[in-house]
Amino acid sequence: MKRILLATALLGASVSASAVAPGGPGCGWGNMLFEGNNGLPMHLLASLVNGTSGNATFGMTTGTNGCDTSGNLTYSGKSLLAMNGVLEEVARDVAMGEGEALTALSVAMGVEATDRGHFNAVLHNNFDSIFTSENVTAAEVMANIESVLKADDALAKYSA
Amino acid sequence: MLRVVLTALLGALLALPGSVLATAPAPIDLQQLEQHPRWQALLHINRGATLRQRGNSYVADDAFFLADNGRRQPRAELRASIEQLAAPQSPARCQFPARYRFLAEQLQWPQEMAPFAHCDEYLEWRAEIPTGKAVLIFPAAYLNSPSSMFGHTLLRLDSAEDQGVWLSWAVNFGALTDGSDNSIFYIYRGLAGGYDGYFSIVPYVTKIQDYAHLENRDMWEYELTLDDDELSWLVDHLWELKDIRFDYYFFDENCSFRLLELMEVARPGIGLLDSLRFTEVPVNTVRSIDDAGLIGSRHYRASKSRELNHLADQLSPAARRVARRLADRPEQVIASADYQSYSPEQRRLMAQTAYEYLRFSHRTQERNESVARRSFTLLREIRTLPASALPPLPTPDAPEDGHATKMLSAGGGMRDDNGFGELGLRLTYHDWFDNNPGFLRGAEIEGLNLRLRKEESQRPVLESLQLVNIRSLAPRSAFVKPTSWFVTGGIERAFTTERRRAVRYLEGGPGLSWRWGNFHPYALSLFRIENNSDWDHWVEAGAGARLGMLWYAPGVTLGASAEGYYLTNDAYRHRATLTASVPVGRNNALRLDLVRDGWRDDHDEEIRLAWRHYFR
Repeated sequence: MKRILLATALLGASVSASAVAPGGPGCGWGNMLFEGNNGLPMHLLASLVNGTSGNATFGMTTGTNGCDTSGNLTYSGKSLLAMNGVLEEVARDVAMGEGEALTALSVAMGVEATDRGHFNAVLHNNFDSIFTSENVTAAEVMANIESVLKADDALAKYSA
Repeated sequence: MLRVVLTALLGALLALPGSVLATAPAPIDLQQLEQHPRWQALLHINRGATLRQRGNSYVADDAFFLADNGRRQPRAELRASIEQLAAPQSPARCQFPARYRFLAEQLQWPQEMAPFAHCDEYLEWRAEIPTGKAVLIFPAAYLNSPSSMFGHTLLRLDSAEDQGVWLSWAVNFGALTDGSDNSIFYIYRGLAGGYDGYFSIVPYVTKIQDYAHLENRDMWEYELTLDDDELSWLVDHLWELKDIRFDYYFFDENCSFRLLELMEVARPGIGLLDSLRFTEVPVNTVRSIDDAGLIGSRHYRASKSRELNHLADQLSPAARRVARRLADRPEQVIASADYQSYSPEQRRLMAQTAYEYLRFSHRTQERNESVARRSFTLLREIRTLPASALPPLPTPDAPEDGHATKMLSAGGGMRDDNGFGELGLRLTYHDWFDNNPGFLRGAEIEGLNLRLRKEESQRPVLESLQLVNIRSLAPRSAFVKPTSWFVTGGIERAFTTERRRAVRYLEGGPGLSWRWGNFHPYALSLFRIENNSDWDHWVEAGAGARLGMLWYAPGVTLGASAEGYYLTNDAYRHRATLTASVPVGRNNALRLDLVRDGWRDDHDEEIRLAWRHYFR
């Protein structure tokens, strides 16, 4: 039975067991800032034989909280933010004014390389209006970023 | 998607009647084709790199073969491939684009403008996959997880534009485990090939989170010198491996071994798999790939804990204490005169340190309201303060620049006025005093460590055989409080009642360690069970402690320790040691050991000097 389950997980897009997001079912728009991780013991165990537990799919999951993008590994800003742990890294980079996670977000949102410095600065200056509280969700952050971009002449073209 | 439609249109337009397969020009030399290194790599034929399945394919999945029993009949598989891939609309082509390309080139099949026009899925995937460059990733060992000491390897595919590695893809070969096995069974299955191995492609960002953040490992990234053409072979072959099952063997046919095969697909004839590879330790994989001229540049990505230590190192001890309080009660401390008396740059560093500490210490836990609130408060504080120029984090020595994995030693000494000679052999990997560059300080993992001793006019005896020996010193600081531990088991000669004799033992225990500059003091509890023919019971248990200090001085590593334990039969032993090891180049060292063994009513002293040579 288990074999069959595994096989289906391999064939189709698998949704990991921890996919139910706090604050809302389904696609992980309820994931909050500072989510934390779990399952470290399993990770340590897995590293013994470099195991991939259960969902070694071939580019079928983006690791979004229960979001299934069916074989798509490229991101919009939305799907990137919905990934476990990314929101936190982006918040840190915005507070600092730069960083890899912020770069990834700007790329995923289609910001040209020439505008990235400005993009970083604008988000940094608007930290308080983007990250309104420690309970802000990925969906709210995305919406807040959109409105910050809209209000900026150079960046308005990148808002949806 | 647009690209797919266009390609399909092109394909439809160009599928002119003239481009139907012409008759084969000359008799095909199957023998020569079969021996082609790229063909062998594409089919994963074992050319003698491991003992299982010699001459056959490693792939354990019928879906990978077009011929019946193609795994064991490479010739039949070649014939079937030629047959099934030649026809322009063949479905096999969509599954084996690299094979098709190889045969079309070798057999000079008529050029088709869009040979894959009918393969929507493949074309879509191909359009998405980044093909700017390939990077070999080596997550190094991390403290307190000995299994990680061997490391892991995976590939990363970057897009041509420089857009940050968070959007790159990770190509990983791993065992598919169901998580319900207990660890003993897990290891057994890992060794015996009981797990299925699959290639997976996942966002690289998840790997960064797993390794650098969650497991706290440094990552080394080696840019490969593959050109666009070589890279496209590799990517096409990855498509052929989609959902294809291999057997996973922990020791040889593991994550690293499969990557070597991919290298052979990309650049055939580099000979990585021509000779027997008894065990595939990831660091040796990196070395092999480097020796084959495949590595261009190297980049180091520090783990979260190293970043945290680096931040904390910038602060005075007093500021560090404030930063520690800041993590616990940010609102109060931010408002305090003590904190505000520091310069804005210092405050920023303190707030960053406190934030990183908070994230680090809760990285494996579920969300917690209070921690989330504190983290958020600290981020807002960081945002208001000017950045200070942080000195770059020093790059440690790369793992592949460390000493080789196997070790042979020869030496001699005196015990209790008797001279002796000694030979040693260790299969793997590193102890506290071995040449340290490229290794973690305070981490020790040894497998099959054997010492044979011969005293004058005596027969050679087994002095010690450690099947496994792991000692992990994880230093405690104001910010992290890890537990150190050790476990050792095997055969050693110990004094029983009348004489020294071989005893079977297993010992281990948790403990604490710290770091002051290059000094690493430690205290470990010691629990022991011993099987000794001189004693009444089949097994005796014991308990005690070990205290010691390591000193990584320039040009020499020194250590001192004292231990003692009581056994349930009222015997006791104590031991004091001094160790000094001087590296001679990368792969040799001179080691001096002074040991004083004591037991009820008596003691022995021993001095040993040995030359140690590390080899691959």
